[in-house]
Amino acid sequence: MAAAAPSVFLLMVNGQVESAQFPEYDDLYCKYCFVYGQDWAPTAGLEEGISQITSKSQDARRALVWNFPIDVTFKSTNPYGCEIPHGLTPALSFEGPQIVLSVYGPDVFGNDVVRGYGAVHVPLSPGRHKKTIPMFVPESTSKLQKFTSWFMGRRPEYTDPKVVAQGEGREVTRVRSQGFVTLLFNVVTKDMRKLGYDTGPPDTQGVSGPSPPQGLPR
Amino acid sequence: MAEVHVIGQIMGATGFSESSLLCKWGVHTGAAWKLLSGVREGQTQVDTPQIGDMAYWSHPIDLHFATKGLQGWPRLHLQVWSQDSFGRCQLAGYGFCHVPSSPGTHQLDCPTWRPLGSWREQLARAFVGGGPQLLHGDAIYSGADRYRLHTTSGGTVHLELSLLLRHFDRYGVEC
Repeated sequence: MAAAAPSVFLLMVNGQVESAQFPEYDDLYCKYCFVYGQDWAPTAGLEEGISQITSKSQDARRALVWNFPIDVTFKSTNPYGCEIPHGLTPALSFEGPQIVLSVYGPDVFGNDVVRGYGAVHVPLSPGRHKKTIPMFVPESTSKLQKFTSWFMGRRPEYTDPKVVAQGEGREVTRVRSQGFVTLLFNVVTKDMRKLGYDTGPPDTQGVSGPSPPQGLPR
Repeated sequence: MAEVHVIGQIMGATGFSESSLLCKWGVHTGAAWKLLSGVREGQTQVDTPQIGDMAYWSHPIDLHFATKGLQGWPRLHLQVWSQDSFGRCQLAGYGFCHVPSSPGTHQLDCPTWRPLGSWREQLARAFVGGGPQLLHGDAIYSGADRYRLHTTSGGTVHLELSLLLRHFDRYGVEC
């Protein structure tokens, strides 16, 4: 008896938030969460996490290492089936899952302030992917507000870090990029090929993302 | 109908003489293509880099196209502007690149250019700001009438795009 054609596919992601490079800041911890469209649902693993606080190493690398595990599986939910008949617009959207990272650390007075936000799409092709993402903070509008927020320990932050994963509404924000975080993903998919998706050549040594400027440890 | 998913980010830009950059982007396709979901155009945040000279935007792009033909493969067109402390915007460069046509993850470097103008306009741009801009944005991604322009080069915009193709083998298309 032939098996029925699958109607959903699975995306299994494991990996880690490996390390960070923030030349000006120390004693940092990070939070991650996943943002996805309505056609995705996490079926296993953790959607959010908070890492330990790490300090820069004493050697020349001055590395900030978290080695914080990520383990989640997503299912694409597709009640209408995956075929788009000629001329018909389906009622579903793809919006692949993204991981949103927020990095926090203490300021001079000991308050916990945000040191960077960043987001990247979870790769959809099976294999190993290493991504280095830039981290940015919203900037105060005026010099007075900048001084007040430094003094009071209340820096500009996003009310919901998931905003970082969206493109809409960004045109009114001013930010400052001040660090990088390196992530490692191992991706396994199930039934994507049976549903007709071609994700390209398997990545056995995928390394992508901007390289940090000279002088910083890789 | 074959489908194409374009998922990725406009990472940032290097090589521009100004800092505090933003990028307005849009996608242009031929008549056979239909955008099923995703935002076709947008504007990134304004970034002032603290480390190095690369301005980082990390602007997400998530587009889902359905197509009946290969003509008019999607093109991403970009306008990079710089913003000064008073909030005024000045053109830093125009550029375009085709969305890659093979599945997988691609790093793209898109070079940019800006119109030069007469020597008077160049002098004014150096002191006061401003400078000539294109009236119609389609000159950025089309070749028609380009011969009228005299331009100088700007910096480079870096993108990372992943392509996911669906049902292309059904129609005998090799990518």
